[in-house]
Amino acid sequence: MSAWLSAVCGGITHRDHAQVLFEHEGVFIHPGSEDQGLEPDLLVSGSLRIIDKDAEIMVDYRPLEDSVDPTNMLCAGKDSSSVVEWAQSSGERSAQLLETQQSYETEWDMINAVTFRKRVCANGEGSLQQQQQPVQERSRWAFSFGLGDLRSVAVKEEGWTFIIFRLKESSSVLPPLHFHQGGSTEFLDSLRRFAMLTESADDVSCLMVSTPNKALSQSFENLLDDNNFGLVHKFKKDPYVTTLGGFSKVTNYIFDAFRGTEEQHQRPPEEVADLLGEVIPGLEINQQEEPGFEVITRIDLGTRPQVIRGSPVSVEDWTKQQDQEGRMTNVPELKHAIFKGGLCHAVRKEAWKFLLGYFPWESTTEERKALQRAKTDEYFRMKLQWKSVSEEQERRNSRLRDYRSLIEKDVNRTDRTNRFYEGLDNPGLVLLHDILMTYCMFDFDLGYVQGMSDLLSPILYVMENEVDAFWCFVSFMDQMHQNFEEQMQGMKTQLIQLSTLLRLLDLAFWNYLEAQDSGYLYFCFRWLLIRFKRELSFQDVLRLWEVMWTELPCQNFHLLVCCAILDSEKQKIMEENYGFNEILKHINELSMKLNVEEILQKSEGICLQIRNCKDLPQSISAILGLDSAVSSPGLADPGSGPALRTAHRPDPCSNGLFRETSSNNKVAFIS
Amino acid sequence: MTTKTSLLKVILLGDGGVGKSSIMNRYVTNKFDAHLFHTIGVEFLNKELEVDGHQVTLQIWDTAGQERFRSLRTPFYRGSDCCLLTFSVDDSQSFLNLGNWKKEFIYYADVKEPEKFPFVVLGNKLDVTERQVSSEEAQQWCQENGDYPYYETSAKDATNVAVAFEEAVRRVLAMDERTDHLIPTDTVKLHRKPRSAGACCS
Ligand SMILES: Nc1nc2c(ncn2[C@@H]2O[C@H](COP(=O)(O)OP(=O)(O)O)[C@@H](O)[C@H]2O)c(=O)[nH]1
Ligand SMILES: [Mg+2]
Repeated sequence: MSAWLSAVCGGITHRDHAQVLFEHEGVFIHPGSEDQGLEPDLLVSGSLRIIDKDAEIMVDYRPLEDSVDPTNMLCAGKDSSSVVEWAQSSGERSAQLLETQQSYETEWDMINAVTFRKRVCANGEGSLQQQQQPVQERSRWAFSFGLGDLRSVAVKEEGWTFIIFRLKESSSVLPPLHFHQGGSTEFLDSLRRFAMLTESADDVSCLMVSTPNKALSQSFENLLDDNNFGLVHKFKKDPYVTTLGGFSKVTNYIFDAFRGTEEQHQRPPEEVADLLGEVIPGLEINQQEEPGFEVITRIDLGTRPQVIRGSPVSVEDWTKQQDQEGRMTNVPELKHAIFKGGLCHAVRKEAWKFLLGYFPWESTTEERKALQRAKTDEYFRMKLQWKSVSEEQERRNSRLRDYRSLIEKDVNRTDRTNRFYEGLDNPGLVLLHDILMTYCMFDFDLGYVQGMSDLLSPILYVMENEVDAFWCFVSFMDQMHQNFEEQMQGMKTQLIQLSTLLRLLDLAFWNYLEAQDSGYLYFCFRWLLIRFKRELSFQDVLRLWEVMWTELPCQNFHLLVCCAILDSEKQKIMEENYGFNEILKHINELSMKLNVEEILQKSEGICLQIRNCKDLPQSISAILGLDSAVSSPGLADPGSGPALRTAHRPDPCSNGLFRETSSNNKVAFIS
Repeated sequence: MTTKTSLLKVILLGDGGVGKSSIMNRYVTNKFDAHLFHTIGVEFLNKELEVDGHQVTLQIWDTAGQERFRSLRTPFYRGSDCCLLTFSVDDSQSFLNLGNWKKEFIYYADVKEPEKFPFVVLGNKLDVTERQVSSEEAQQWCQENGDYPYYETSAKDATNVAVAFEEAVRRVLAMDERTDHLIPTDTVKLHRKPRSAGACCS
């Protein structure tokens, strides 16, 4: 029995080393169309997978019911209403050239997998006998074969796409697979990662398949011993290979190498990825939870609720919420209104101080004035510290010197097109500089790290006051501190959390990214470090930040914002078959092309979708803080507008053009 | 009819503020943006060019220079074909740091034969009048460190930018021609930059 056959017979029953590389549900077989007396509109729905089984790439189709595992290893129990029940009476039908075969192990596939036996096909008898399996009728449509045995794939259109596999060494034809729910392109793209598909000379709809057979049939160890094999030298030379957990990356590399001239530079991105993987520990992508099928964590999230965003909280709305002494009342409601619609620019200067935690919500106007007085003193005391360092001293203080030099450089490269920071002698530049220098005195261990000027700039723009801006910045930095620390632990944690979320939300996309060595989501680095500051227009950043600062509707909402953006980009990324570099480039170039309201709408929808899910994994609840959370008012009802506002009134916003001339602490609308 | 294009990865390294991003943008878009943000994370741009009859796609990588970001910057050094060590002629510290950048690159790019690796040195901001580093000093450093080509550039007025990148490409191509001869012809062609054999295909 060839290595190929044993792999098939062993099948995907052993869960070790098997990894689902691609999966698409809603792939249909039309048994009736084979003119076998079946009802013509009988459909079998199933899922098509590409599986890496002990470094052999398998294509695997199985009807829907078959994928439900009684041991609950697979939670693919989906709505099967689209499946027309199999007519038990039609015992006559013969799946053309199929051979049903008892499966030997039954842990994963409790079914009788239909496989294609090389030996039999090679006989050239043209037809194979079929065992009767009345109990497992549907299973007869399951099939699975090694990619190395695939001769060609014919891709046809009939209002939808259907494909026909043709195997080597046999004239047999598998039943055509109908992609009624799309996915054929993605499937072929995935296939291309493991085999070369070239249009046949006489029929462009027929893709000829060539695979690196040798690599496929040999284990990694064999490869190393095979001195005739061109890769050996490289492998031996390269110590990183030995740290690989699974075979998949190795095989990918081999395939890439075989794809040869067309696919240049496959290796460097992969090396880069491996190194990044070491930098971001804890994200053992191939070893998450149980070994074996990653599909085990698949959860049906249900549909995503439609969300309606509100309009911004106006000056009037805001002042209405203050009592006689200036305490804010109805804070949860107010926060909810800000979450739904943001703030009009005129309210920001006041409201941001509360949102960021500089002003306690329950404080009175008097208390806030006293607080500001004390904080003003404290600020200038720290400012004086760096101001009074002599040149002599600074010469002996390399850290201060470095901070200062970097701040000077970065202030000149932050939001220079914004009128608050444009031109040569704009006072905004001096304030930006002085606040960052004073922050170094406030937290000398952290000092200045690139990215901090981006976080300060919008705050200073809104506050138009050095002291207030400083303390609001301090509050914001409290949230962001870990991102900037020496080990960048905050960044690593966030990337891991984001990966976990994305995996739940969109396994297919997550798998795609993983296969492109991008599963640790490095390309989201800038998003996370400076909270989308460079991705959105300045005005949109203000909106996004105030929404995030409400801490609604869940913890780490900004990670769902990432998911929302990725959700909008995944089609492009997958359709264009972007690799590691292209994904990074594509994401970098989204900058300034995003729409904040659309993103927020989608992010909230995702949050509701996850919240509605019953069997949420603990890891997800922990990230989003859904365990302990007592549902906030109105959250269960996405359509409900904030109670604060009256129905129809003109947009009270001054649209960002509001500007106070003086920079005292008084806010215009509080008199 | 099919001319093969080689993909070359070059990386710009040097202190923050010396003008790496500006040089990259000048070369690829032929613009100088005085309002450019400082770089966060890692970026790259592609540029097609022809050098001595070779079609080349340059993939130019640009990173953030701060020490803090080192661990997330250095993985991208892997697979570089050339490194452009950059300083600013009006900043002597950035010049003094060239050696550190070179070391960091060699270490993390895992260069097998550092002596042979093609570095090119750029002294940027040539247009600025207050120089802190003289041409002679810079030239001398290049000679002593491995006879690297040295260019004084200005991203602002475009002086020498294209010339420097073209020289980088030439160096890489020259390197490859040497190593190509060492690969026996009957082995599986794994070289990741397969070149059309010059004139015969184009
Ligand atoms: N005068 C002058 N300024 C430059 C030149 N190149 C860059 N700059 C400026 O130097 C600062 C730093 O440039 P940038 O490209 O951000 O440096 P990077 O940190 O190395 O990427 C920016 O303010 C640029 O406008 C140049 O050739 N001449
Ligand atoms: Mg830069």
